[in-house]
Amino acid sequence: MNTHVIRILFLKDLFLSRKYLFAYFAGGLASSILTCVPNETVSFVGFILTMTVAIASGIHLIGMLLLSESTDQTRSFVMSMPVSLLDYSISKIAVVLTTFLIPWSVMFACAMVATFVLPWAKHGGVAVLPPIFLFLLSGFLVQLVIAVISESVGWTIGVMVGCNVMLNIFMMKLFGHADVAAVTKSSVVSWPPVVLQIVTVECLICVAAIVIAFVIQTRKRDLI
Amino acid sequence: MTNCMDTPVDTQNAVSLRRVSKAFRHFRLDDINLDIPCGTVAGLIGPNGAGKSTTMRVMMGLINPDAGDVRVLGQPVSSREANAKQQIGYFSDDMRLYKAETIGWHMQFVSSFYSTWDDVYALKLLDRFGLIENQIVQGLSHGQRVKSLLMLVLARRPKLLILDEPTDGLDPVAKHEVLSELMQVVEDESRTILYSSQNTQDIEQICDSITFIDRGRVVAAANKDEFLERWRRIKLNVPDGWKAPSIDGVRLESSFRNLRVFSASQFQEEIIERFESNGASIEAVESMSLEEIFVSSVMRGRDEVRS
Repeated sequence: MNTHVIRILFLKDLFLSRKYLFAYFAGGLASSILTCVPNETVSFVGFILTMTVAIASGIHLIGMLLLSESTDQTRSFVMSMPVSLLDYSISKIAVVLTTFLIPWSVMFACAMVATFVLPWAKHGGVAVLPPIFLFLLSGFLVQLVIAVISESVGWTIGVMVGCNVMLNIFMMKLFGHADVAAVTKSSVVSWPPVVLQIVTVECLICVAAIVIAFVIQTRKRDLI
Repeated sequence: MTNCMDTPVDTQNAVSLRRVSKAFRHFRLDDINLDIPCGTVAGLIGPNGAGKSTTMRVMMGLINPDAGDVRVLGQPVSSREANAKQQIGYFSDDMRLYKAETIGWHMQFVSSFYSTWDDVYALKLLDRFGLIENQIVQGLSHGQRVKSLLMLVLARRPKLLILDEPTDGLDPVAKHEVLSELMQVVEDESRTILYSSQNTQDIEQICDSITFIDRGRVVAAANKDEFLERWRRIKLNVPDGWKAPSIDGVRLESSFRNLRVFSASQFQEEIIERFESNGASIEAVESMSLEEIFVSSVMRGRDEVRS
């Protein structure tokens, strides 16, 4: 593993995605601010926009940073330099994760803050945020795995659609759960066991997805 | 012979491929053996889909062979090894730069990988190729793109240059500029160059040795002068019902009425004697161009596979 090479590749991708990264960061921040506006309708629109930005950034970043180098034929240019498959894989997975995690963290943090500062928001509602945001993150990582395995835009989009449909079902089920519904109506923060179980499973999915993506990428025999 | 390796090794070959095979769904690189001595300019000629690019990608570790041994500048090459690439400059026609960035940005990006990057030479090449440092890649023509890539490759001052069809699709002026620059690089005897093309004229201009490749197999390999010296075209006038004698290395290329045209890959006077003793009269014995030798070599290889 060559850290110098990984650093160059990581910074290169960060630089290439700078405009989009800024746009997603700004979009995430703006939608999060809307979520904190003390008006129920505006706040709800802000939350929907936050979800939209998180989903859109995931879709776009995977396509731009992971799949486009293959379709744009820039990968052979990069791999013609002293870059090993391991260096390439680490830098790619690291940059895709970083670029997603920056707006995701901002939105997650703002949503948490909003739950505490909004006059009509019940503090107990904070318990549903980790499962929802971790669902977005784990969905993104599953898409990453599919993108790495298939290197196909079609397959990746298919999984993205599936993940987004699942998000709606997931939120419906989450809010429909008796313990969760009770907590969201409470002014006291508490963590029902079902939330902790969901968060644990989502964390495991995230770790597994990163490991699988990395192992598959480094086991590839042909780079172009 | 020049030594192009930093460390002493038991070979003086910059590139050494031993029994390299790689199978794809519709194509197979079959048992490729290839040696390129240090300090030489080697040409790889083959028709479309012959396996030139695949062979070069194997040398770069971009494709891992199913079998065989690949050594470049004395080091093993695979997708897991990047050391050898520090001293290789690889150009491929299907390689692309980042569209939204400038040539200058690419120069900075590439230079960060190489301690040998020569900024002065890079700027000189920019000027010679008529490129503008601040120009965005998206607006470049095909010729400018090729020249930009070559500039990025040459300014690294690599010990080994692997150039996959660098003049393909270039206009005559751009081709002249590229070949002139390569001729200057060739003058540096410590450099080894592997140059692939479908165009035998380009290869003839700069290469010392030539390998013909077709359908994933090496069909002939020799020194350029050796090829030109030993291959001959023999035109015969033959009587009706004449049957050609079977002579090693001699192939019937065409026949029209009583005229027969043969090619000989190892021309000797005995071949003429054999034809004459068989009743044919010699119309002419002519030298062959590299292109004719290439076509004949490929056809012989295909005959061999068929039989």
